Amino acid sequence: MVNEKELQDAVEKTVKKGDVKYVVGYEKGTFGFQAMPSFAYKPEDAKKFIFSPLCVHNLAVFPMLEEKPPLRKGEEPDSRKIGVVVKGCDSRAIVQIIQEKGLDRDKVVIIGIPCTGVVDPKKIEAKFPGQVKNVDVKDDGDKFVVTIDGKTTKVAKDELMPDKCKTCEYPTPILYDILIGKEVKGTKKEDYKDVKVFEKKSMKDKWEYWEKQFEKCIRCYACRNACPLCYCKECMVDQLDPQWVRRSVDVSENTAWNLLRAFHLAGRCIGCGQCERVCPMGLPLMELNKKLEKDVKELFEYTAGINAEEKPLLAMFKPDDPEEFIL
Amino acid sequence: MDKLIISKNDLPKLLDDLIKKYTVFAPTNNNDTVIFSQIKKANEANLNYLNSQYPPKALMLCQTETLFKFKPGPKGDIESVKLDEKKIIFGIRPCDAKSMAILDHAFSGDYKDPYFLTKRDNTLLIGLSCIKPGVNCFCTSFDDSPASSKYVDILLTEIGDKYYVEVMSDRGKQITKGASKFFKPAKESDAKSKKEAEKKAISAIKRTQKTDKIAEKLDKIFDNKFWKEVADRCVGCGTCTYLCPTCHCFDIQDESTLTKGARVRVWDTCMNPEYTLHASGYNPRPARANRVRNRVYHKYNYYPKNFNVIACVGCGRCIDLCPVNIDIIDVVTQAGEVKP
Repeated sequence: MVNEKELQDAVEKTVKKGDVKYVVGYEKGTFGFQAMPSFAYKPEDAKKFIFSPLCVHNLAVFPMLEEKPPLRKGEEPDSRKIGVVVKGCDSRAIVQIIQEKGLDRDKVVIIGIPCTGVVDPKKIEAKFPGQVKNVDVKDDGDKFVVTIDGKTTKVAKDELMPDKCKTCEYPTPILYDILIGKEVKGTKKEDYKDVKVFEKKSMKDKWEYWEKQFEKCIRCYACRNACPLCYCKECMVDQLDPQWVRRSVDVSENTAWNLLRAFHLAGRCIGCGQCERVCPMGLPLMELNKKLEKDVKELFEYTAGINAEEKPLLAMFKPDDPEEFIL
Repeated sequence: MDKLIISKNDLPKLLDDLIKKYTVFAPTNNNDTVIFSQIKKANEANLNYLNSQYPPKALMLCQTETLFKFKPGPKGDIESVKLDEKKIIFGIRPCDAKSMAILDHAFSGDYKDPYFLTKRDNTLLIGLSCIKPGVNCFCTSFDDSPASSKYVDILLTEIGDKYYVEVMSDRGKQITKGASKFFKPAKESDAKSKKEAEKKAISAIKRTQKTDKIAEKLDKIFDNKFWKEVADRCVGCGTCTYLCPTCHCFDIQDESTLTKGARVRVWDTCMNPEYTLHASGYNPRPARANRVRNRVYHKYNYYPKNFNVIACVGCGRCIDLCPVNIDIIDVVTQAGEVKP
């Protein structure tokens, strides 16, 4: 259980310092099992902040979404820091971006929250359908406590958690300036069970499976925009000359988009699962990400987002790097 | 027009009959989602659904529409596409049917869009009343009803072991006449049952948007900081616009290889910065706040001013699936309360 008062105090203190543009955290959502990103520009805004198992978003995306409007003559750019509230997985995104020099360590104030698992919005909505009013969900050991109209139900975490939480090895933020509450030790292990099962399928079965998934894609690019690691100034799918991926939405172009997205995140994806969470068509994108994560780990003994000092995987070379995949 | 009934047993038979004469689209299961797709047998349709994941506007304004095909040659070799296939959209919800009527304004204005209008003229809408609305349904905020028959050719409403059938157009009448063996005239008690089902559905809608004089109110707050506050959390994806049954912006591209090509139009979204980017590099909507505001203004200000109708039907898709809970019910209600 995270002490919300402690979080609000930390946010208030951070904003008060004056060298911070805003702190992004969470506030209550507008219906059902929603929480939403919240921005504290003034110390009193911190009062809105919450933390609960409904805080499923990776807020590390917001420093990357910062807009830099053209400056008027003599105008100085706003070089203040940005404060971000992060869970374990979210912090790995910040570590990875710092490693890639996408973000300066001194330009972010990281407020870390040791995380004991969030809910999968789809699973909790299926279990408690039709919730109009915002529902209170709390963390209680190995259970989530769901209170609807005064009636409390305890549900085993395994039933409602997304897969990424079930195999989370880094519940406590890796990098932080302020930690809210006590560190949570990582006791789980990512064993890539589902990837291993999928790898055993025939090429034909694999293709049939993914063809059906990619057919559904409507190319809204929510997967890209919600991803903190997708921060290219111009995404290759938006480029027209040359046009790498056509604008036509069909299984061929959709496959190109989804595979390019996955490959561009090889050795960079930190597994926060935002792409899959936000996909309006329900594509199991984490299955692609996990396969690449497993390959990168096995081939190069590299895990993304755990050491800000290390070089990015694709920026380093070791003489004994395996190369049997080179044709 | 006619009020009839059809038993639940006869409905699949009617559907199979229609499939012989028309290309029939109906809600179907696709993994965990429901989408409108062509059916070849009645049992492929899933009529026990809340609403389709993306709207059936996609059948009129396809996400990817081939305008014509071409091959290289001294005079060019242009091949036009066939559009006048007789279609039925079966099981469309009243809100989505209304969206078609809203789209008519955009596509039959100064420039008559032959692609949209030909398809629209050749498509019959057989609606299915929404008797169990979802969490974010708010069609009643626009004085409409989940069992409204205004925008369809035929409306079916489930009442017990049968459907109450309202025939709303001559085209609809041709259908019921042609398959008269399946229909019986409705009794007064059936009409009453429909009213009750409708009342129950209306009372199940819990959320309301305040749209009173909204176009005028929005006129006064165009430059208000409210829009930046709303857009702060926007990640800039196109989910809200692609899932919207009334959003209709598109992009046109020539896609070709050395031997053949096609001019295609594809859905576009005003949430994408590139949408308004000029060739000069100037962008009149440079920030997410400009773009989020545009989505709201297009629906609640520009459209009402031009066509006298709010371009939102209250289907709730953009609310259900926004990654960051930008909730158009609250945004518009709050915008109405912002002091200019």
